[in-house]
Amino acid sequence: MAFEIFHKEEAAIEEAKSVLGSGEITDPKAAKHYGTLLKAYEKLFKSTKRLVRLSDRNEAELNKVAHSLDEKNHLLEGLSTKLSKYLSPQIYASIFSGEREVALETKRKKLTIFFSDIKNFTATTDDLEPEDITFLINDYLTEMSAIALKHGATIDKFIGDAVVIFFGDPETKGVQEDALACVGMAIEMQRHMMDLRAKWTEMGYSRPFQMRVGINTGYCNVGNFGSEERMDYTIIGGEVNLAARLEGVADPDGITMSYETYALVKDYVDAEKGEPITVKGIHRKINPYKLIGIFKNVDEKSRYFRSENDGMKLFLDFGKLDEDTRPNAIDQMEAAIERLRGEETK
Amino acid sequence: MENIKIEASDRSPEVDFDFDKNVYALRGESYPEDVTAFFGPVIGKLEERLGSLKGAEVQFDFELVYFNSSSAKVLMGLFDMLDETAAEGNAVVINWIYDEEDDNMEELGEEFAEDLENVQFVMKKMAPS
Repeated sequence: MAFEIFHKEEAAIEEAKSVLGSGEITDPKAAKHYGTLLKAYEKLFKSTKRLVRLSDRNEAELNKVAHSLDEKNHLLEGLSTKLSKYLSPQIYASIFSGEREVALETKRKKLTIFFSDIKNFTATTDDLEPEDITFLINDYLTEMSAIALKHGATIDKFIGDAVVIFFGDPETKGVQEDALACVGMAIEMQRHMMDLRAKWTEMGYSRPFQMRVGINTGYCNVGNFGSEERMDYTIIGGEVNLAARLEGVADPDGITMSYETYALVKDYVDAEKGEPITVKGIHRKINPYKLIGIFKNVDEKSRYFRSENDGMKLFLDFGKLDEDTRPNAIDQMEAAIERLRGEETK
Repeated sequence: MENIKIEASDRSPEVDFDFDKNVYALRGESYPEDVTAFFGPVIGKLEERLGSLKGAEVQFDFELVYFNSSSAKVLMGLFDMLDETAAEGNAVVINWIYDEEDDNMEELGEEFAEDLENVQFVMKKMAPS
């Protein structure tokens, strides 16, 4: 017999009916009361069964709704993760935590602005296939973004091969710390470009990118610009233009700062004063400071070692050479050196 | 007897009792915090009115989208009351109005109808919104 949750109640009703029908209760008044009681019990039993079913249905319905909510949450999470790629992580975090209003609001703040581009990007990529340009630019921007985020930067935008980054909003560690973080980031980027160039050359790209960097510190308007329908979290102001102008006068593989930035970081880095420049919208003469010693002691830290001369091509990837493969590499290089020495004495 | 008109809230249904016309309705969702406090007074008045009817025509519309177990118990009491009213010589029509996509509410209506002997229980699909 199948399990019935109301088996006992049903059995009790059947038994009561049989007692009533058997004439066991001889007193007619008592039999009438017994009958009334039985009817009320049957009704109550029916209500109970119905309520239990209703409760189960509501629970099932609730579970269905909860499940569908879970699915929607999951979908929204996925969408917000995708959307987050279009925003700087700090901006995304401040919007999603509810700290920041998504409204056309700006404020004036002292920021350190970083501006970079690739020297002769168009000429360098002229003879490349679009797929190769896409690979190079994405590889370059991915690596630079990772360094920027490591240093706590707000990545404002990518404009083709140019990158605009700032420090000081939405999070700031103080004007000097922000400037130091920005310069530290720029140095790490230029150093890392050496590795990237070695990698790209090895992959067959004959004219790998060289980056120029301009950095300036000053008051900017920062916030949401645009329309209520489409806005950008960005910075505007003469100081932003100055960062772009400093980038324009920077050497390839170089970093050029304004005096305002240099003054904040001069105890930590070396720089030499360049020829004064003028910038549209800024009345004062601008003294550019070219950072020196960017690549000091960099060889020891670099992942790649690359040297190329006529008749010699040497490329080492220290990221791949581990304790198993290193002895073999040493043997081969020693054999090469031995042969080179032998050739010398001939 | 003064008619009763209570607007629906987040948790309680709209109550529309027209004692003059003997047309009554409950609409919306029903899971009030205190079922007795919400339904007690209105059902008390309804009971009083129905008990006084002789040979009358009564219509009760149930247009519910969700109700909890306590409200279900209230509904069952209402059905009994209406069935007794019908047994006493009144023509009682219960309209069970449900969303056509809500199988749950349709089944509930069918189950409630099973117990009623004297009323005319009509299942009606809600007009699509």
